[in-house]
Amino acid sequence: MQDRPTSVELLEAAADFVDRELVPAIEGARQFQVRVVANVMRIVAREIKLEDPLVRSEVKALARLLGHDAPHLHSLDDLRTAAAGMGEELTAKIRAGEADDGAWRGEVLAVVRQSVEDKLRIANPRYLEGDIAIRNAAKPQKEI
Amino acid sequence: MDKIEPGEMVRRLTGFIRTEGRFDSVAIENFRKMPGGASREIWSFDCSMERGGETNRRAMVLRRDPGAHNISTSRRHEFMVIRAAFAERIPVPEVFWVSEDPAVLGSAFFIMERIEGETLARRLLRDDTYARAREVMPAQLAEILAKIHRIDPVKHKLDFLAEPGDNAALTEVRRYQENFRLFALEPHPAFELAFRWLLGRVPKTARKTLVHGDYRIGNVIFGPEGVRSILDWELAHLGDPMEDVGWMCVRAWRFGNDQKPVGGLGPREDFFHAYEKASGAAVDPEAARFWEVFGNLRWGIITISQARTHIDGFVKSVELASIGRRTAETELELLNLIE
Repeated sequence: MQDRPTSVELLEAAADFVDRELVPAIEGARQFQVRVVANVMRIVAREIKLEDPLVRSEVKALARLLGHDAPHLHSLDDLRTAAAGMGEELTAKIRAGEADDGAWRGEVLAVVRQSVEDKLRIANPRYLEGDIAIRNAAKPQKEI
Repeated sequence: MDKIEPGEMVRRLTGFIRTEGRFDSVAIENFRKMPGGASREIWSFDCSMERGGETNRRAMVLRRDPGAHNISTSRRHEFMVIRAAFAERIPVPEVFWVSEDPAVLGSAFFIMERIEGETLARRLLRDDTYARAREVMPAQLAEILAKIHRIDPVKHKLDFLAEPGDNAALTEVRRYQENFRLFALEPHPAFELAFRWLLGRVPKTARKTLVHGDYRIGNVIFGPEGVRSILDWELAHLGDPMEDVGWMCVRAWRFGNDQKPVGGLGPREDFFHAYEKASGAAVDPEAARFWEVFGNLRWGIITISQARTHIDGFVKSVELASIGRRTAETELELLNLIE
């Protein structure tokens, strides 16, 4: 058991310092690099918070899609291994043309979209929000 | 490659230019390394050249391979393609000299005219200074692209350009599929779906032309009045001209201006129309869409290979490392396009 601050609190403190104190003090190409450093720290903080629930639901969704029983896994390492293994199984099926058309294609697209959006929840949540806003704006408006 | 100090570079460069241009004397000033240039080093300098009592002064840049592991012929090829474009009155820097002799500066390089202006796409899309440029650039870029596709590779002796075979689109898809299998460390079902989508829709390419290969707003020097110069010709090849049209529409070059698909500047239809008017060749929207999907997929595979450059230790860089987490942005765009 470690003392407070938590890993997330430490990373966010460091990222805030970089953004508030270092970025304005540095110019040009170096400033861009420093922004990247702060961004990387925020990605890691989000991953510490979100990875466990996201990979758990991904494993469940992949198992259902591939017709497997939901595995009972606890450790994060086991969950990651299961997600990667089923990901390979899914890509082999896609390569073999099994998701080219038909009802299963829709299921595959939904699961893959969920996995991709989960990656963006950690890597770039603002990009994901922007994308969802564009898609909603493009949908025909329902008349009330 | 041994690191050559800037002072020594200037000394060697002065001798090289004096010999190549048969000048009586050459003086180099303000020699400095420019920021950016991830794949090539860029150095800027002012050059005074004297022959028979007459002095000519030009602003120049040197574009150099970073190390000896690169394909040694590529600098000469890029030089020759830019020279052909210049001869056809396409806005490019005038190129002066090329050398692949490592004894001169350690690795291959060429020297060209320095064009003043801005290259940061975000400034183009956001700053008031460039309001006029934003209006005129889609049509300018379409007209310039039509001219690029008219360059005659035979006339300009560009016979070294990669020949795509019977079907340029299929050749490109297969090439990137190979790269993807080589670089990807995790399963990417979104990319697999995109490959299946592309392989089912390969356009029959009627036209085969010179293709710029990296035609996007990040490779344009611009001013408040519009386009000044087209840069980075190292990926030029023979193929389907629609490849450049699709690449221009890739989401990553919009910098958030997603309501304007062509480089964050305007709608596809206007760009296609301007290209048709300038080239006399019709743009098949299905073919353009094929190449837009291919372009997004290609960019996604590039993000994986850039992250691998860091992971494998070739170049340790936080920027390259972080690009590995941008792959998902491209996956999302591909799902939006193919669903």
